[in-house]
Amino acid sequence: MRFIVSSSTLLKNLQLVGGIISSNTVMPILENFLFELKDNTLTITGCDLETMIKTKLDVQTELGGEDNNGKVCVTSKILLEYLKNLPDQPITFNINPKDYTIEISSNSGKYKIGGEKTDEYPKEPNPENANTLTLPSIKLVEAINKTIFATSSDTLRPAMTGVFFEMNESDITFVATDAHRLIRLAYTDITPSVTGNFIVPRKPLQQMKNWLPNDDSAISLSYTDTHLFIKTNHTSLNCRLIDGKYPPYRAVIPAENPFMLTINRVDLINALRRVSVFADKSTSQVVFDIVGNTVTLSAQYTDFSYEGNEKMTCQYNGEDMKIAFNAKLLVEMLNNIEGEEVALELSIPSRAGIFKPTEKVEQEDLLMLLMPLMVNI
Amino acid sequence: MTTEGTQRKIIHIDMDAFYASVEQRDFPEYRGKPLVVGGSPEGRGGVVATASYEARKFGIRSAMSSKTAQRLCPEAIFVFPRFDAYKAVSNHIREIFRRYTDIIEPLSLDEAYLDVTMDKKGIGSAIEIATQIKDAIRTELQLTASAGVSINKFVAKIASDMNKPDGLTFIGPSRVEAFMEALAVEKFFGVGKVTAAKMKSMGLHTGADLKQLTEAEMIRHFGKPGKFYYLIVRGIDNRAVQPHRETKSVSVEDTYQDDLITKETMLPELETLSGRLSKRLERHGLKGRTVTVKFKFHDFSLMTRSLSLSEWINDHESILDAVKIILEKATLHDKRVRLLGVGLSNFDQQHTDEKQLKLF
Repeated sequence: MRFIVSSSTLLKNLQLVGGIISSNTVMPILENFLFELKDNTLTITGCDLETMIKTKLDVQTELGGEDNNGKVCVTSKILLEYLKNLPDQPITFNINPKDYTIEISSNSGKYKIGGEKTDEYPKEPNPENANTLTLPSIKLVEAINKTIFATSSDTLRPAMTGVFFEMNESDITFVATDAHRLIRLAYTDITPSVTGNFIVPRKPLQQMKNWLPNDDSAISLSYTDTHLFIKTNHTSLNCRLIDGKYPPYRAVIPAENPFMLTINRVDLINALRRVSVFADKSTSQVVFDIVGNTVTLSAQYTDFSYEGNEKMTCQYNGEDMKIAFNAKLLVEMLNNIEGEEVALELSIPSRAGIFKPTEKVEQEDLLMLLMPLMVNI
Repeated sequence: MTTEGTQRKIIHIDMDAFYASVEQRDFPEYRGKPLVVGGSPEGRGGVVATASYEARKFGIRSAMSSKTAQRLCPEAIFVFPRFDAYKAVSNHIREIFRRYTDIIEPLSLDEAYLDVTMDKKGIGSAIEIATQIKDAIRTELQLTASAGVSINKFVAKIASDMNKPDGLTFIGPSRVEAFMEALAVEKFFGVGKVTAAKMKSMGLHTGADLKQLTEAEMIRHFGKPGKFYYLIVRGIDNRAVQPHRETKSVSVEDTYQDDLITKETMLPELETLSGRLSKRLERHGLKGRTVTVKFKFHDFSLMTRSLSLSEWINDHESILDAVKIILEKATLHDKRVRLLGVGLSNFDQQHTDEKQLKLF
């Protein structure tokens, strides 16, 4: 097995796949890249116990040569470290099919790595009987960006550690929650023509975010009972789905919060950041004291006699109210809403507040919900 | 706490061969005989909790396996501990302490520090107070204790160990430095076998040797404890006697008669332990976020594995769920397990979680 490849192209592809490889794994074989050469296409695979990423690139092989096929496992750490220190140039890989020794030659020298046989490397799961839909890549990237931060890290409730995908005839919905906050994003211009749902773990979503193109190019999404498969032209990812029942999220979204407060989003973020400096570190509690068209944000940390207060103007059509939120969670949410202003829908101080963008993006329905903190006022 | 210029008066009280002495008091047939309180030497699970002074003559020590103890002294009597009885005695002892001071820091059932700088009775002399406490323990409980009296916790504790049993040792302020200089390094609090060996390889055998090193050198060689040793050899230990020590973790454990080999056999035991832990936590009103499982293998090597959750828990079910995850992930290399423990830490001090309202 022998091929020539540009060192920078190879490094780019290895980094794309290598994000999933962890150095401390129960199966040592997972610390390797899998190289598979067929004619002049090199497929590189990286995986952990739940996710597998594959990417294909063209390499130069001897036309009609006998060495154009084969596979080998290469230790990821050494190869990445070497390529990072090599200026861009063509390099030649020569792999001995008997003892899996890998010899790399560059302009400046020769290097050797002991490769491994590929028998123990995990096989790609079977996508048989999968449901498939296509959607623009940028839509999926956005959906991941807007939801992933709200997933839970509570391993005792595994369903909530991932993002819930729900397909209907007429739309596709993404949900994330950690029981304190909930994000729901629906695209009405995507018509999956299948109905079904599944929960995708956080780690593969993070990987997708990194390599899925930020444009309208179509990607294919397929799923079985146990796995998700994502495909672009050169790269594919499959991962195990979270086996569990997603909490009944619809039931906790209030049908109507009658009071609406509209406020400049960036100003609110900045004010919250300042005021929360003076808040109790364990709760990050900031109280919204809404009177007419004025909202006073206040925080105290009684242990140290810290106190912060700021007044802001807003538009408000409801009863005067005091409601408290965790400023850290709130800022995170506000950062993931677009537009100059944000609308906050309220009912009573012990019920969820709903945050929405005031300028609606066409065919997109975004709702963020945050449970308040109990205040003794 | 001490203000500058005032010398503290600290007493360390340590009951003599506590469990064994209580047994010998309650069962006259054990008196004058080598008695071991702890696990049975039959099978192979037990360890020695306490040995009577008669048994100690044969070299039997706490934490030794009961089997070894039996080999050292075949005629030794082995009895299981009666914790309820010891607990009752311990409560009585603390009641005696409280006649003199409220600043009591219990270290275990049979050991405590007392700060008697300002004693309730206005006696003034710490030696007199220690004598009275020892007398009260003798007449009211028919047991003996050893006391160490000094100006700080460290010296008081070492002093109580110097004339056991039934001893009373006083190291006055003027003698503290000389006492520390003469002390062998392995007697220093926190100096285990490894540090002691390291010190000796550097030619440091006593407090006086340690005193030759600067503070910076001590820290460089021994890390953070180096600073503590630096101060302590100069007789400085400002640690207060803490009546309400914050609970940092709660745990329960069990040693098994027969080694557990498979995870399947460990699960029911862990379930029992989780239940016991949950009961204890509920009694103390504590909720924690970090669950730890402890494995002791047949070769006595230890392994602990923890899982931190995003919520504070103390109910049986949640603890067990976490324990199951830990057990599943733990790599035991087919080693036989003789002891299992389950613990919870990372406590919710301010019950902050109660404030954040939840959706589900």
